[in-house]
Amino acid sequence: MSTRVYKTMEDKLGLDKFKPFEKTHLKIKQGVNVKELIEGKLFVCPAKVYELNDKGESIVSFENCLECGTCRVAAPDEIEWEYPQGGYGVTFRYG
Amino acid sequence: MTENEKFDLIVVGGGPAGLTAAYVAAKAGLQVGVLERGDFCGSKNVFGGIFFTNVLRQIMPDKTKEMPYERVVTKRRWSLLTPDGEIAGGFKFSKFSKEPHNNSFTVIRAKFDKWLSEKTEEAGAMILTGATVDDFIIENNKIKGLKVRMEDGDIYGDVIILADGVNSLLAKKLRMHNELPKEATIIGVKEVIALPEEKIKDRFNLNADEGVAYEYFGYSAKGAIGSGFIYTNKDTISIGVGATIKSLLKHKYNPNDLLEYFKEHPAIAPYIKDGEQKEYSAHLIPDMGYDGISKLYKDNVMVVGDAAGFVNASLFHEGTNLAMESGRIAGEIAVLAKQKNDFTEAVTSLYEKRLNESFVIKDLKKFRKLPKVLEHNPQLFQKYPEIMEEFVRDMFTVDGESKSKKQKRLIGRLLKKESIFGFIKTALAARRVIL
Repeated sequence: MSTRVYKTMEDKLGLDKFKPFEKTHLKIKQGVNVKELIEGKLFVCPAKVYELNDKGESIVSFENCLECGTCRVAAPDEIEWEYPQGGYGVTFRYG
Repeated sequence: MTENEKFDLIVVGGGPAGLTAAYVAAKAGLQVGVLERGDFCGSKNVFGGIFFTNVLRQIMPDKTKEMPYERVVTKRRWSLLTPDGEIAGGFKFSKFSKEPHNNSFTVIRAKFDKWLSEKTEEAGAMILTGATVDDFIIENNKIKGLKVRMEDGDIYGDVIILADGVNSLLAKKLRMHNELPKEATIIGVKEVIALPEEKIKDRFNLNADEGVAYEYFGYSAKGAIGSGFIYTNKDTISIGVGATIKSLLKHKYNPNDLLEYFKEHPAIAPYIKDGEQKEYSAHLIPDMGYDGISKLYKDNVMVVGDAAGFVNASLFHEGTNLAMESGRIAGEIAVLAKQKNDFTEAVTSLYEKRLNESFVIKDLKKFRKLPKVLEHNPQLFQKYPEIMEEFVRDMFTVDGESKSKKQKRLIGRLLKKESIFGFIKTALAARRVIL
């Protein structure tokens, strides 16, 4: 019997338990060049929260956030970061 | 809540540091509130895998038998991962399979921290879950309490212990801590992979509930400044890799790519083969060491655990016990402050004083050069693993050439790659990491 192997972040996030809040807890500050920010720094996010769409606009998939803080440390001047509403976000069943 | 119904102590964060502080203070009769942002204590908490129980045993000697653990760590192994294989050493002692088990257990944090929170509640503390704290209540320059993001979320207390983890936004608000430095903050990613219990015992050569901690240095983060690990649980394996944010930015690596590289490495892949992935997690590790510890106290406030930067990131990889010891001491100081009815620095400063005499600060001091050594010796993560691999592999290659001829030829070749001075410098640097 073979088990399915998940390799991409998208697939792996599907293993986790999330309860997304209605509002984002992550924001890119006004006036920041999002292309430079995402391609130059936020590729380090382990949950693929930050992506660019076809038009080069930023998409912030806060519902995938593992709440680690990597983006905040990688780009302290460009990201507004807070914890999600209590009781929401990721719930680690192992941790 | 109004100011008239305040707590003696409010703890922010229901991890090992915060719960220990709350337990100690509640046991001594203080009115204690713990504010935890998750659905339950443990639901937001991630670590590699070993819980060191020396402090737990000290504060609740009669209860350690009930704690939910996975395996007793009797075997530890350190490996220099090279691009093609590994060079390893370690120990396995059967003495550690008996009480007190060297105070080293693999645990699942969602279960363990929840259990610890139940013990803390039994001791009399009140635990409020789903409570994200956004700010302090400050009146006349005095910290009076905390603002929780909920209706009627003002919570008052005489003293506040910040156990809000590595990001500790609250300590930063008070300027007790600067932003985490990219070169000394590690992002760790981890998977929990299920395998039948028998298979785990076979693969790792284990009796009954023994377990292993395998740590991988060298090339485990594909040349970035980082390391990898495998810890065995009862019927799962925790596997992960971490690297400094600065070196990920430099190498243009995403942490998950490193984890995939590590999992597929020929020295690693057989351990997890045919396992079923259960969870993927990520967490920061404060790796600043002694020189990066936050300010630890001010009037009405103490900082403990990861929030203060208490992680020993040397070969020993200890964190949970440092967290609990800092929590234990802060809890005792809260009790003392209540007795004296003095919550100013006159009393909270004693937290730092006692902590300086504990293994927490002593161990961090011993390894204070570690973060800089790693930062300034990137050759430890790529060039040297490659050199070591070449040397050891060629020395042990059986092909009819005499060993002395091999040695001579190899030394000649190695000196083309690195000067004697370079070898000595790196050896001295590496020594700082080890003992």
